[in-house]
Formats: sequence, C-alpha cells, structure tokens
Amino acid sequence: MNKDYSLMKGNEAIAEGALRAGCRFYAGYPITPQSEILEYMSTHMEERGGVFIQGESEIASMSMIWGAAACGERVMSSSSGPGYDLKQEGISYLASYNLPAVLADVMRYGLGDGEITEGQDSYWEATKGGGHGDSRQIVLTPSSVQECADLTYLAFELADKYNTVAIILSDGAISQMIEKCYLPDALEHDKDKYDWAITGYKEKNATKVKVTNMDRTIGHEAWNELMRNKFKTIYDNEQRWEDFMVEDAELILVAYGISARVCKSAVRSARAQGVKLGLIRPITVWPYPDQAFQNIPESVKALVTVEMSISSQMAPDIQMASKFSKPLYGYLSTLYVPKTEELVAYCKSVLAGNENALEVY
Amino acid sequence: MAIRKKPEMINQQVGWCGGCGHGIVQRLIAECCEELGLVEKTVQVVDIACAYWSIDTLNCDGIAGPHGRCAAVATGIKKVRPEANVYVHAGDGCSYVIGLAETCYTAMRDIPITMIVVNNGIFGMTGGQMNPATTLLGDKTVSSVKGRDEKTAGKPFDMLKIIETFDIEYAARGALYDTKHINQTKKMLKKGFENQRDGKGFSIIEILSPCPTNWKMSPVDSMIKLEKENELIFPVRVYKDRGGEK
Ligand SMILES: Cc1ncc(C[n+]2csc(CCOP(=O)(O)OP(=O)(O)O)c2C)c(N)n1
Ligand code: SF4
Repeated sequence: MNKDYSLMKGNEAIAEGALRAGCRFYAGYPITPQSEILEYMSTHMEERGGVFIQGESEIASMSMIWGAAACGERVMSSSSGPGYDLKQEGISYLASYNLPAVLADVMRYGLGDGEITEGQDSYWEATKGGGHGDSRQIVLTPSSVQECADLTYLAFELADKYNTVAIILSDGAISQMIEKCYLPDALEHDKDKYDWAITGYKEKNATKVKVTNMDRTIGHEAWNELMRNKFKTIYDNEQRWEDFMVEDAELILVAYGISARVCKSAVRSARAQGVKLGLIRPITVWPYPDQAFQNIPESVKALVTVEMSISSQMAPDIQMASKFSKPLYGYLSTLYVPKTEELVAYCKSVLAGNENALEVY
Repeated sequence: MAIRKKPEMINQQVGWCGGCGHGIVQRLIAECCEELGLVEKTVQVVDIACAYWSIDTLNCDGIAGPHGRCAAVATGIKKVRPEANVYVHAGDGCSYVIGLAETCYTAMRDIPITMIVVNNGIFGMTGGQMNPATTLLGDKTVSSVKGRDEKTAGKPFDMLKIIETFDIEYAARGALYDTKHINQTKKMLKKGFENQRDGKGFSIIEILSPCPTNWKMSPVDSMIKLEKENELIFPVRVYKDRGGEK
C-alpha cells in the first residue's frame, strides 16, 4: 500500500494533487476560501521546476494559463465566488482553442460578494456556464480531502485526453477541512509531446503552429462536429458517482461535496432507527451521472436533493436523470452545512407524507 | 530608391485596408526577425482586432490572444518557452484600454517579451469608435460624433510616460508617416527584439499609425494628420533605455 500520506487541508491536497499530476504552471489571484491553493503553489511550484505567478486579476491569470497551455504545459488556476465569474472569459477561450486546463472552483455562499463561508450555489455556473458560446466542461466534485487530491490528479488526465477544461468544484467545507490523505505517484509531463503545441523552435520548413479561435483551419461544419463528438464521448464515458445503500432504500438522497458527507451519516443514522435511506453521490456533475438513476429500485418512494443553495440548482439534472420517475424533495440549507439529525427528521417527515415536493422552476 | 526585398516570413497577401499602418508594422516585424535570424524561434501573439490578420500571413508559430489580454497570454508563453522570441502585435485599444492592467503588470514584472502597440487613435476592427486612451480631443468618431469632448470623455493619455516609470528595458514611440520615421521605427523594433534575444527585460514599442478607413480620410491625408496632430500629443522618441543586463 502507498505509504505516502499526509495530514492536509483540502485546498493543499488539490494543489499537491496538481503538482503530482505534472502541473508546472499556475497563475491565480487570492480569494477565500481557496487561497491556500495559490499559497501552496507559490511555495512548492518552483522546487518542481514549474512557474507560479500571482496575477493582477482572475482574468489575467486565466490568460496566462491559456498561453502556457498553448505551449503544451499542464496548467492550473483556481478561484471562488466573484473571482470565479471572471474566469468565465478564459474558460470560453480555452474551449474555443481546444486547450486542456484545470480550474478549481472552491464555492462560497451567495450572490455578489456573498459570504466567505462554505456554500454550494455555483453549481449552475460550473455545470451550465463556462462563458459565452456552447461548450461543456468536465466538472468533478470532491467529498473528502483524499478526493481533492485524487480528482485533481484525474482532472489533468481528463483535460488532456479530451483537450478540455476540467473543473474541480469543491466547497469551502471540503477545502478547509484537514484529513489524512494518500498522495498519488508523482509524474512528469512532457510538454513537447503534442503536435498542436507552440514551441517556437522549428526547422526552417516545418509547419508552423497556429492556435486560433474555433480552429479556423477546419471550417464551421467540421468544428461543430468535432465539438459535438467530444461532448458526446465525454458524456458516454466519464460519468462518475458513488452508490451508498440504495438497493433496498425507501428514500434516496442525492448530494455532492460536503452535503454528501452529511448525507452518508444521515443514511447510517436513519438505518439505525429503522428508516431505509440511501445515497447517490454524483462525482461528476457534468457529465451528470444519468446512469446512476437508470435502475432505481422499486422500493424507492422519492428522491431528496440536499444542497446548500436557495433553489435546488441540481434538481433539473436529477429529474432528467431519473426521467421524472419519482417525486423529488429538497433539503436546501443555503449557507449552513446540513445537520445529520435534522436531515433524518426531514426524511421521516417526507415518508410520513408531511412535506411538499420540491418546486422546480 | 532601393526597394527592400519582401521578407520570406510573409507568405500570403494580407487583409488590411489600403493605406493601413498595420501592414507596414507587420512588414517591419518580419524584416527584423529575418535580419536577426529569429524567425524559427518566433511566436507571435496577435490581438483579436485588426492585428489578427497577421496570424495567417506570417510564417511563424502564432496564437490569437483575446482582445485586451495579449500581454498576459504572451507571459504564459514566454514562461513556458523562455528561448522563444515572443512578441505581441496589438492595438492601442487592446493594450491601453481594456488590457491596461495586463500591459502594466507585464511591464512591472519585466517579462522579457517585445510588445508592439499600434496607436491609430481609434478602435479599428469594430468600426471606428473612440479610443479613450488615444483619440485626440476634437476628433470625430462614431462614438464621439461631435468630436471628443474632455468633459464627457476625459483627455487622451501618453501611456509610455506611465510605463517608462517602471523598471523595464525599453520603451519607445515610432511613427509611420514618412520613410525617415519608418526607418527609425524599424530600429526601435529591432532594439526590442535584440533585447529579448540578449535576455534583457520588457520592451514596448508604440507606433503612430493611420486608420484611413475609420478616420474617413485618404491614406495621404491620414499620414499628414499623424504628423501634424497626433505626434504633437504623442511625441516620437525613446522614453526609456535601461541598457542593462537582466
Ligand atoms: C472583451 C471584448 N470586448 C470587445 C471586443 C470587440 N472588439 C474587437 S477589436 C476591438 C477594438 C480594437 O481596437 P484596437 O485594439 O485599438 O485595435 P485596432 O483594430 O484599431 O487595430 C473591440 C472593442 C472583443 N473582441 N472582446
Ligand atoms: S480598419 Fe483601420 S486599422 Fe483596421 S485594417 Fe482598416 S485601416 Fe487598418
């Protein structure tokens, strides 16, 4: 067994996971609760032979990682809340240029400047957003410090495999907690292995690399086809989730990130009290794990989404995935991390017929 | 008059309007890169504005940076490919208006790239709107139809006066309105590329350039305006030459 473990914060695990995945260029701008990613990179990037830049803004940092990505380097940036908004420009451009990059969004609560506390209300922005134009980004949601490291590591693989932006959608709670974490093996990335990357060191007659908007060399028809195929292939192959005690469940909770951790303890606690709860925990939220909902057992009476937001941002995805086959309820705790026993009480109340189904609008 | 041989680095016809300064700038860039033997090392970062046309016509690696962010994109490239000859060819709207922060911070970090800013006093690509940094007071544009008014739009500012206060390698302004100034501008560009070749810091060369289409003037009258009006506000000179090792 890999003995290479540490006690780390979620944010540090994201940063170390990135470095071990061969990330050698990071640019970012501080914002709570993700600043430790930037700080960790500032401390450890140079010793791995990489480049760290504290940019003048989120927008500039994105453009820097874009330039570096175009050179074939493994690149990363990170932000939160209002800073993540500013990343959207860069996401759209990276998608337009078919460049791989990893971006961590450690969600905080609220609109505008919101709060610096934990939250889960950037789901829409991460899964349906990504700037102007239609593109899709892979979005991975860690639920532990271990997953902060593992999913970041995976994000680099997937970004590379599909030439796409991969987003780590973490939350303030997961990213700020300290846990034991086994670290993945360090690998070195070869930035010179791609024929599409800018090198600037060419033979006289070698083809020159042009990195352009929506790949202008191939025409719009071919471009549309390329992108559509990419999204479909990712959708078909990269759905990830965890089932927890769903086989005989009466009620299935659906949650990711910190909420999913609370749900797990709620499932255990409820079962100890004779109430059969189960949990589907999406790990990718784009592609949404539709497959997880294909064989919901007969015993299930309803689904309950558990999120830290005002409206359920995930509800439409759950309804589509479950093909509206079960009623959907919502336990929406806004800026508070859901509490195990309150959640169990809510589920009992749903089963007793005392709650209204979630309004999805 | 001796006719200069067209650089091989230019491999297609370009898409700029007749009489546009961008074409002269591109030609000078190509001449400098060839004369310095840098073509195979060169990476161009062009703005998504009128400079964009250069991406296809120059035979070197290239990337189209977003409007405003070219200096930041070039920073990423230079950090990953330090041996490459990385230059930016962008407009004054890109570099001094929307991308003011990116330009200033690239200078402040003294990133060893060559930044070339075409000062045509207008937003060319989008059809001739006022440039808050460079449109002269009184100049008529489609977004200042009565002429730029200080009360509503403030005054133009000389960006090189700001940038020269940073610890950078080189800052200079050239102009394109006659052969003498074109040759002088070429020397400035060459210096900018040599600085990069020699491992020195950030170089910026701004070039006073005409946009006959959006100024709604003939190419010849545009050149006269450049000399008689624009140069009064934006003097042609070397602003900074650190001349040091870095
Ligand atoms: C974020 C953003 N805002 C606006 C535009 C539209 N736009 C494209 S080029 C341009 C202005 C170009 O002016 P300048 O940089 O001076 O270059 P020129 O075309 O005059 O050479 C604008 C506003 C854009 N592409 N992106
Ligand atoms: S619009 Fe102006 S700057 Fe653009 S190509 Fe035409 S003349 Fe040149």
